[in-house]
Amino acid sequence: MKEYGKIKKLSGLLSSRQMSCEELTRMYLDAMESENETLNAYVSYTADLALETARRVDAKAAKGEALLPLEGIPMTLKDNISTKGMETTCCSKILKGYVPIYDATVWQILQKQNAVLLGKTNMDEFAMGSSSETSCFGGALNPHDISRVAGGSSGGVASAVGGNLAVYGLGSDTGGSIRQPASFCGLVGLKPTYGAVSRYGLIAYASSFDQIGPIASSVEDAALVYDAISVYDEKDSTSRGKTEPASAALQNDIRGMKIGVAKEYFEGIRGDVNDALQQVIRVYESLGAEIVRFGMPSLKYSLPVYYILACAEASSNLGRYDGIRYGFQAEHYSDPNDMVCRTRSEGFGDEVKRRILLGTYVLSAGYYDAYYKKAQNLRGEIVNAFQGAFEQCDVMLAPTVPMTAFPRNFTAKDPVETYQTDICTVPVNIAGLPAVSVPCGFDEAGLPIGMQLIGARFCEAKILNAAYQYEAATRETTFRAAETGVRL
Amino acid sequence: MVTHEEILKIAKLAKLSVSADELVQLTKDMSEIIGFADTINAVSPENSDFDNINHLSNVFRDDVVAPSFDSGEILKNAPEQEDGYFLVKKRA
Repeated sequence: MKEYGKIKKLSGLLSSRQMSCEELTRMYLDAMESENETLNAYVSYTADLALETARRVDAKAAKGEALLPLEGIPMTLKDNISTKGMETTCCSKILKGYVPIYDATVWQILQKQNAVLLGKTNMDEFAMGSSSETSCFGGALNPHDISRVAGGSSGGVASAVGGNLAVYGLGSDTGGSIRQPASFCGLVGLKPTYGAVSRYGLIAYASSFDQIGPIASSVEDAALVYDAISVYDEKDSTSRGKTEPASAALQNDIRGMKIGVAKEYFEGIRGDVNDALQQVIRVYESLGAEIVRFGMPSLKYSLPVYYILACAEASSNLGRYDGIRYGFQAEHYSDPNDMVCRTRSEGFGDEVKRRILLGTYVLSAGYYDAYYKKAQNLRGEIVNAFQGAFEQCDVMLAPTVPMTAFPRNFTAKDPVETYQTDICTVPVNIAGLPAVSVPCGFDEAGLPIGMQLIGARFCEAKILNAAYQYEAATRETTFRAAETGVRL
Repeated sequence: MVTHEEILKIAKLAKLSVSADELVQLTKDMSEIIGFADTINAVSPENSDFDNINHLSNVFRDDVVAPSFDSGEILKNAPEQEDGYFLVKKRA
């Protein structure tokens, strides 16, 4: 079987000393220097750290020591993942200049593997958005067409990986923020099961939905990164860690695998996206999988349920930004309360303010039962609906986004129109399930289309197995490397 | 419909100040968003009590003394500090 992974290939070159890690790292740093101005993928560079790590890897390889799976591989982190001593801003004015005094657990794990961090990447402010354009640094662009956005909120990671300015990156997914940009940039993006990867050090948006995961250019690479980071962590009280490694399961035969298709996922999606998904179904049938069709009526409440609950959690989580302990503080104020109000009003962007206000509204006296409590109840129904679905099938297949990458500065009629584009991604966050977005074709303009495979809780190995087999059968027609960055 | 007064009340609870200019657009946006949230009122959910995704409760660990963060390090991120405390001036 043809291999599409970059990580194993590069690791082989490094350990056999056909290429030094310093040489590899410099290639990426040089490419960032020339291309990031256009793509706006990175918001900060960590070149010194990258080169220092690279030299350590080279010293290890010179001694003939075996390299760890991710050792020496150049990568990036979304700028909401805390890195000790390195600015972490969530691309918000309110956190500009904030330097964490501790590392996120995922970054601790990766440092132990001598992962080469090239820099931190762009995102929608506090991960609230679908285009990365709510970033205080401006939006990250799509490497396949720079008149289009990279998606969001982990748009910078997708722009960097898709533009070959990093081998892989870690993003976070609260309502689709890993899968949607992966889909827009023709990449593989995995949102793990809630609890599989520690959230310690991930700056919170909506804590019962947030999950860290990889964006990479192949299923194999995404699986390798997932295996490395899905470790139990006592610092996250919702942490469970993985139940089985995913990399070992990729080659499994999928004959007889039952792939569920819920019709609600296909309502209102664009014609060419639907055509691409129908083609995916035919590929799976030819690989010997069995398609099982059913309905999941409660999915139609996913969007309002998601926005009510996520914003409620956000309004609470973002209460900590008071201008006293870290980040931005308003310059002029009349008293301490006024200082807090002005700091928040000047420091947060419009989308963040709208979500804080919605969250405050649904939690306020008189509205709590009608919105928050009811949405929690419906969340339970959606959880049950997925449980029922996985009694009938092994994995589910759905589009990732109803369309392809938006043009830059696309102004929706109102905020709700923008929220509607998350329709296919939010259900798994509501139910805490794993899902992976995989490239499955191109539209007429040559923009990537993505599909997602959804699994039962902690069944990452199964969805990545199905994704790998699809990729192996179709890679020539479903994946195209962008003509930027380091082409290896 | 959401009124200007409601938006101002909610903004006060959320410690956000809203200028007269912003109020008109914000009220319009919030009306759309809350109208959208209202779509769940068309259903009466079965009693699907939702607690948390991973069915975890009371996750405890041993109460072991371990080094914590250095207060001097923490204070480095503060806009203003004095004598080892965060400082907020009465007015600026």
